[in-house]
Amino acid sequence: MTRPAPPAAPPRDLRFRRRIDIRVAARELWRSRELVHSLVERDLRAQYKQAVLGVAWAVVTPLAFMVVFSVFFRRVATVDTQGIPYPLFSYVGVVPWTFFSSAVTRGGLSLLSNAALLNRVYCPREVFPLAGVISAGIDTLVALAVLGILFALSGVAPRPTSVLAPMLVLTQLAFTVGVTLTVAALVVYFRDLRHALSLVLQFGVLATPVAYGLEVIPRHLQVLYGLVNPLGPVIDGYRRVILFGQTPQWETLAPAVLASCVWLVGAFVLFKKLEVGFADVV
Amino acid sequence: MSSRGLVRARRVWKRFRTDRQRRLLRDQVGSLVARLRGEHAGGWRWALRDVSLEVAPGEAVGIVGVNGSGKSTFLKILSRVTYPYAGEVELIGRVAGLIEIRAGIHPDLTGRENVYLYGSLLGLSRAEVAARFDDIVAFAELGDAIDRQTKYFSSGMQMRLAFSVAASLEPDILLVDEVLAVGDAAFQQKCFDRMQTLLGRGVTLVFVSHDLASVEALCTRGLWLQEGCVESEGPVREVLGAYRSHIEGLAEASRSVGDLVRLAQSRIAGAAGMSIRTQHPLEVSVVLESDAARTVRVCFGLSEGPATPMVVLQRELSIAHGATRVACRIERLPFPRGRYYLWATVVDADRHELLAWQPVTHFDVAGPDLDRPPRGIVRLAPVHVEATWQHDAV
Repeated sequence: MTRPAPPAAPPRDLRFRRRIDIRVAARELWRSRELVHSLVERDLRAQYKQAVLGVAWAVVTPLAFMVVFSVFFRRVATVDTQGIPYPLFSYVGVVPWTFFSSAVTRGGLSLLSNAALLNRVYCPREVFPLAGVISAGIDTLVALAVLGILFALSGVAPRPTSVLAPMLVLTQLAFTVGVTLTVAALVVYFRDLRHALSLVLQFGVLATPVAYGLEVIPRHLQVLYGLVNPLGPVIDGYRRVILFGQTPQWETLAPAVLASCVWLVGAFVLFKKLEVGFADVV
Repeated sequence: MSSRGLVRARRVWKRFRTDRQRRLLRDQVGSLVARLRGEHAGGWRWALRDVSLEVAPGEAVGIVGVNGSGKSTFLKILSRVTYPYAGEVELIGRVAGLIEIRAGIHPDLTGRENVYLYGSLLGLSRAEVAARFDDIVAFAELGDAIDRQTKYFSSGMQMRLAFSVAASLEPDILLVDEVLAVGDAAFQQKCFDRMQTLLGRGVTLVFVSHDLASVEALCTRGLWLQEGCVESEGPVREVLGAYRSHIEGLAEASRSVGDLVRLAQSRIAGAAGMSIRTQHPLEVSVVLESDAARTVRVCFGLSEGPATPMVVLQRELSIAHGATRVACRIERLPFPRGRYYLWATVVDADRHELLAWQPVTHFDVAGPDLDRPPRGIVRLAPVHVEATWQHDAV
């Protein structure tokens, strides 16, 4: 009954090869949507059960940014708000930025914080970063309530061009999910990236037109800027359609849309490639 | 589809890194530099080598092996938690993998919220969980506790909650890794019964456990892994028989190592072959085998079971090369009625152990029961001493 000992190493043709079919992967992810739902619910419930202020925390961060910008930033720089009160102007930039930053942080570290599950339960691994992005999105919806209050206080109404905003939201989502998936996959292999991440995000709020307008970037560099940081043209677009009643600046938004789509697809493929080793490394 | 429930693993290999645990960018850069220079970068250890297994729908296979033999790794590969380095794995049908199932329980959520979370982790839709919710709670015997946060649950309760969700899955393939280790005997029996019910419905089972009795009871086939290789595979009784004799061989080998003196025989009896009675003689007699003539100290202990004896009897004596009979007689045994154990050790003049301290045999004593002192008095030595009393008015 005892067998002969196996060879020292497997024959080459036996090596396991990971085949990535985006359509199959996307279908499997769609089947896991209820799991994403449950994970988001778990994150939000766990988060707000521990906090005294509860849901109010979702508002505190963007409000704090807005107050700091209104009190200090305007002292050192003049910002052309086209007649819009500065708190409102900056809050329209702060909310999308907070969403991006909190989605990348939560989703990016989600594989580490769910290491126990990763090692014991099978599911498409991207559900963990996606759940992070969605719970950040829900916090953002709460923060949007404050935007309504700011509109009322400053006697300004959102312009009819606001109907164009969903297009900008989609661009931002594609970019955010792309960056989140990339960070999540890389942090598993390079743990110290998580410290770099918080640093990059802290600089990012200054390198993005959150406290100021996009026109600060020289005109001939704006296309390049849109490719590198799609959030810039997107935030500029939000201000144009919601506050100024203009259409987005297409020649800077187009490169941002392109870059976001490349991020999304590239990150998904990268994530699926690296996924094979997650459970062994985490 | 007739192949629903099929499990097929063909020539699976898996390796893990042995060099380090850290995953920092600077380590990676270092190893990359080393690799570019053509130096050897890091070692690998094979966890599984060329393991194949085919389980027909409805069949039950038990995987046994000592710790580190690759059982759990193999089950993780079957459940797609981790990927093989080489080989193919195919499972057809709905798979429920129960691997350290308490990991799915989040401490800050209530039992109810955890049922939904863990259900969706195992692949149930929320509607399916809702339909089974009452059954799950009833099976877990949690009652009102279901709305408490699970961090206030005992580990047994968490275990029951997780297993109950898993048990409600109705899978085609059940992969089970040592999940029954926690939980009281009654609940373990219940889990066992539930697995047998599932087997009766035609579920395919792959079962990893150190509890050979339950492997034998549940499985028809066995797979014995040894250092990542298949040592033997076949009908469960044959595989377990081979595995059992292997581990007993290991235990005996580890016991006789360092024992320069062997205990060949032991006998414990009352005087002249009579039964053992309180306040009557007790005779202990053993035969020691030694590889050389030496002066030793023989030590017997009489205990209620554990290695801490109530009475120690010892004597320095010379034993010959070969067998020596050593006898010891107690005139009046001070033990009340009950079962006791004889322990023994042999040491040399420098107190080096020649025979390890170990239980030798047990014996029963007939006589009076131990009298109970008033409450609050802790008795150190539960012995029976004859005494006479007088009481006069003065």
